Amino acid sequence: MKKLFVILALAALGVVLLWVVGKMPEMGDSRTPDKTHVVPRYIEDGVKEAGAENLITDVILNYRGYDTMGEVAVIFSALCAVIALLDREKRGVSRSAVDASQVRSSRIVRVTVRILFPVIFLFAVYLILHGENSAGGGFQGGAVIGASIIVFTLVFTLIESTRDIPLTLRVILESLSVLTFLAVGFIGVFKGVEFLTYILPGLSPGVAGALRSQVFMMSIEIAIGVAVGAIFTSIVFAMIKEENFELEPHIPEP
Amino acid sequence: MNASFNHPVLIVVVPLLFAALCPIIGLIRRSLVVWLALFGTACTSFLALSLIGRVTPGNDLSYHLGGWEPPWGIEIRIDTFGLLMVCVISTLGILLVLYSWKYMERELPANRLSYYYTLLMLIYTAMLGFSITGDIFNMFVFMEIFAITSYALVAVTGEKRALRAAFKYLLMGATSSVCVLLAITFLYSVTGSLNMLDISNTLAELSPDYIRVALAALVFFITGFSVKAALFPVHVWLPEAHSIAPSPVSALLSALVIKMGVFGIFRILFTVYGPGFANETANWKSLNEVVAWAAALSILAGAAFAIAQKDLKLMIAYSSISHIGYIVLGICLLSYHGTAGGFYNVLAHAMGKASFFLVAGCFLYKKGFRRIEDLKGLGRSMPISSGAFALASLSVIGLPPSAGFIAKWNILWGCLDSRKYLFAGVVLLGSVLAAVYCLKVVYYLFFTGPRMRDTRIEEAPAAMYVPAALLSLGTLFFGIFSGLILPSLNSASRILMIR
Repeated sequence: MKKLFVILALAALGVVLLWVVGKMPEMGDSRTPDKTHVVPRYIEDGVKEAGAENLITDVILNYRGYDTMGEVAVIFSALCAVIALLDREKRGVSRSAVDASQVRSSRIVRVTVRILFPVIFLFAVYLILHGENSAGGGFQGGAVIGASIIVFTLVFTLIESTRDIPLTLRVILESLSVLTFLAVGFIGVFKGVEFLTYILPGLSPGVAGALRSQVFMMSIEIAIGVAVGAIFTSIVFAMIKEENFELEPHIPEP
Repeated sequence: MNASFNHPVLIVVVPLLFAALCPIIGLIRRSLVVWLALFGTACTSFLALSLIGRVTPGNDLSYHLGGWEPPWGIEIRIDTFGLLMVCVISTLGILLVLYSWKYMERELPANRLSYYYTLLMLIYTAMLGFSITGDIFNMFVFMEIFAITSYALVAVTGEKRALRAAFKYLLMGATSSVCVLLAITFLYSVTGSLNMLDISNTLAELSPDYIRVALAALVFFITGFSVKAALFPVHVWLPEAHSIAPSPVSALLSALVIKMGVFGIFRILFTVYGPGFANETANWKSLNEVVAWAAALSILAGAAFAIAQKDLKLMIAYSSISHIGYIVLGICLLSYHGTAGGFYNVLAHAMGKASFFLVAGCFLYKKGFRRIEDLKGLGRSMPISSGAFALASLSVIGLPPSAGFIAKWNILWGCLDSRKYLFAGVVLLGSVLAAVYCLKVVYYLFFTGPRMRDTRIEEAPAAMYVPAALLSLGTLFFGIFSGLILPSLNSASRILMIR
């Protein structure tokens, strides 16, 4: 009975979707409302008004920066959710299944990761800093930083990673993206303009204004990158640690 | 440009600042976090209340973020209804943090506690942002924040049953979020805008090719927000999640979070679409009618299930479904008395139901009792908590002179006004059923159990019964002084109906 109801409800929504799909605006048609209403200003004046050469960065960090602040808060709340439920790992004490495994990672894997790790990290920095002009940005770069640390942890054990990355530092870095957004916003508030306004009073909106916008956007971008990296790392550390782990002795390498 | 010009955004940003600071302060001294959260909610509440004189019906407060004018940038737009939500959320916020201080100390270890307060501050940020935004995508962003944090808050104790309830909530909540996101993309594809007023203007003269897409978007919006509001057929996540969560969280979810779903329905139906939607008034009205029927079913089903419960918190949770029904029914009656009554019930139910859950938490904290039958004679040993429960039940039932009476009276008036006599019967029957389940508890509290002289007074800590008692007194206050709020709600609703 319950299942029948669920299937009927989903079928009803499916019927609505089928009913509407024929009437959707045509893909690639340049005369549809989604391309003629707000978009022209973004394309024509974006670089001049908002400061970054990458139009997408202009939209997400300048025209709709408040939404991005919300997204940053979403990631931060995901972290808080995980930590409130699972607690932090204990530095140098908490172990994961990898730590307790009887088989150590092979030498080939360890050497490869050791060589690749700095390169991956460098790529992440590139993504973060270059987001203003081309593809990339804080979220992507931060995810790559997180991934590099996760690979490191999976190969070199949790104990090693937590020893290298102090907890106190991570706690501060996690809040950094939200705090930077707020700091940039409050600069505007104290100067008497709207929250998240980059072009402050007394500055002409021309070249100087664009430069100031770039400085603000760049600092937000970097903060997002660092914070997302720290948050991903912390989430993975909290999730892979295991309580009450029966530790088995390592078999010495032959 | 005066000093209070930035207040609208500060309401959202100040709790976010405190949320980001909580973990850092927690590193230095864990016991400071609760005071930080209290201070943060107090600041927010001050900011929200300071807006009261500046928003009048028909005269919204508009604020452009980043200085970009509306269709291009994001707009914060505070109208009378948004202002009411903001004031209720921020004021209840202080009391819930105060209550959590003693209650959560026992439920959570100290190192996880600072993240509990971070989650609380984040959920306040999200609900405040949701209530005052004038942009549908921004609404979605804040909806995601309060959704994620509320799943976590349900599960925060880590008990197996709590985890299961939270997972069920997560599945239904995520589905509803997808519905809302899909609806936003539909609407953007035919209007090219995300600003509510701009969309509303475009929709009024929408080209006939696109009307079908706009209607489908409306259906998906309503479906998505109904799950968040726990209307009748999609309410199944609510009873478990609200009854198993720690009591301050139950109060938060019941009093505030489900109201966000209702507020979403209201915003979409009236602010974005509105009766003038592309000469499709008939379709719009019939959809309103469908939602009103779902609401009427919620009223009866919620109340009927509540009577059958043996567990106190489960009973209160089912009663929430019934009261959400009242609010939605009031809004969908298309009569200004109904809308005003619905929003008055937001206030009345927030206070009454939060008080119920907080009192249930006091019983749980002091005696460990969950079952209604165990409450025998607690009216004598815990007089303040029990008194608060009895006072709040006046409002939940809807007896004069409580705020609940004013709300239900106006909803009833709305029913008669729009000639929906069947709904009027539902409103009255719902109140009778509410009397059955509330008075059962009051009976156990005061009229059974040992005699007066045999009992010692064992009250919960003051930080717990004071918020509950204040909320109960609040229902009485807003019942007697309904003239403070009701006239402006009435005129704001009247403007809504004309537009």
